[in-house]
Amino acid sequence: MSTALNALPLPQAHPGAARVGIGGPVGSGKTRLLEQLIPRFIARGIELAIITNDLATREDAERVQRSGLIDPQRVIPVETGACPHTAIREDPTLNLQMADALEARFKNLDLILIESGGDNLASTFSLDLVDYWIFVIDVAGGDDIPRKRGPGVLSCDLLVVNKYDLAPYVGVDLPRMRRESAQARDGRPVLFTNCATGDGVDAVVDAISRAVLFDQP
Amino acid sequence: MLILDRILGQASDPALADRLHDLSHAGQVEILSLSGSDIQRHRLRLASDRGTDCAIRLERHQQLRNGSVLMLDAQRAIVVQMQDQQFLSLQPRDTAAALELGYFAGNMHWTVRFAGDTLQIPLNGPETDYLERLAPMLADGRVQRA
Ligand SMILES: Nc1nc2c(ncn2[C@@H]2O[C@H](COP(=O)(O)OP(=O)(O)O)[C@@H](O)[C@H]2O)c(=O)[nH]1
Ligand SMILES: [Mg+2]
Repeated sequence: MSTALNALPLPQAHPGAARVGIGGPVGSGKTRLLEQLIPRFIARGIELAIITNDLATREDAERVQRSGLIDPQRVIPVETGACPHTAIREDPTLNLQMADALEARFKNLDLILIESGGDNLASTFSLDLVDYWIFVIDVAGGDDIPRKRGPGVLSCDLLVVNKYDLAPYVGVDLPRMRRESAQARDGRPVLFTNCATGDGVDAVVDAISRAVLFDQP
Repeated sequence: MLILDRILGQASDPALADRLHDLSHAGQVEILSLSGSDIQRHRLRLASDRGTDCAIRLERHQQLRNGSVLMLDAQRAIVVQMQDQQFLSLQPRDTAAALELGYFAGNMHWTVRFAGDTLQIPLNGPETDYLERLAPMLADGRVQRA
């Protein structure tokens, strides 16, 4: 490596926060995943903030604010009105403004996690809004979801199949669901989690870190 | 891992083009090949055509384009190349089919481009995924590939 004087790095301004989307059908465990991710990122020294998108309430934001896991001021709700996926795809303006506001307020943010309002299998994130996005489905939603090849499942950066603990109760053949998820994803990442207990969540933290927090020690 | 956090300019800029030309003769220009959607990202980790592990990290107001130069020194350059965007072109049989196709594409939240009497859909993923969805309309001739 060159050690010429003019190649010495200048002291860098803070590079801004990575933005990561968490989408998926209502009830698949997006907020629960958030609640499992928050303490893990904080333990790694990551400066974190959260945006939640809700139809017409602030329920998810209030739940995370009350959780005691994170400074409540770092959790902001966006009320999306009728059509939650529009706010993360066709018109992410509101979410972009919230993310910018969080970065202005907390100067050293490394990561903003954005939970979508709960969508169908066709929802995707605008890459204007996020650098990386996760789609969360759950085992109880049926083992045919990967076979249905919805755009969310196909085009996300990371597919999380949550609630694997429920497989025996809902008659889901887990090995088969693993196989078919991998096929639908054509080699791109799929992780299985139990967000009730936190099993498998460390691997999600690792995947996010590798993809967008590469400048963190 | 090599962090690339600045767009130095475009490969076509006269100030850069000569240096890139010389480096390319020495085989020292590396290409980062990005899809039409990946090029929108501000943070992205990927390998160059020479296998260099690159981590792109741009400020929010910056935007990658085809030909963006992300590194340039005496030894090497790294340049973004946008992969050609593939389109699926569809032609409806009549007005009724056109209405139906337009409604369907909107419902799928596909991006579309209008070109005369065809509808063009930029493909984000395998073409078969799109054809699968369109199968009923293609099967009975309401819509055909243009
Ligand atoms: N058994 C089980 N329950 C879960 C799991 N993850 C989430 N849940 C529960 O599923 C319900 C919906 O979760 P929530 O995070 O609110 O879903 P969201 O609508 O996607 O945000 C809640 O009652 C969670 O406690 C899991 O891995 N296993
Ligand atoms: Mg939720």
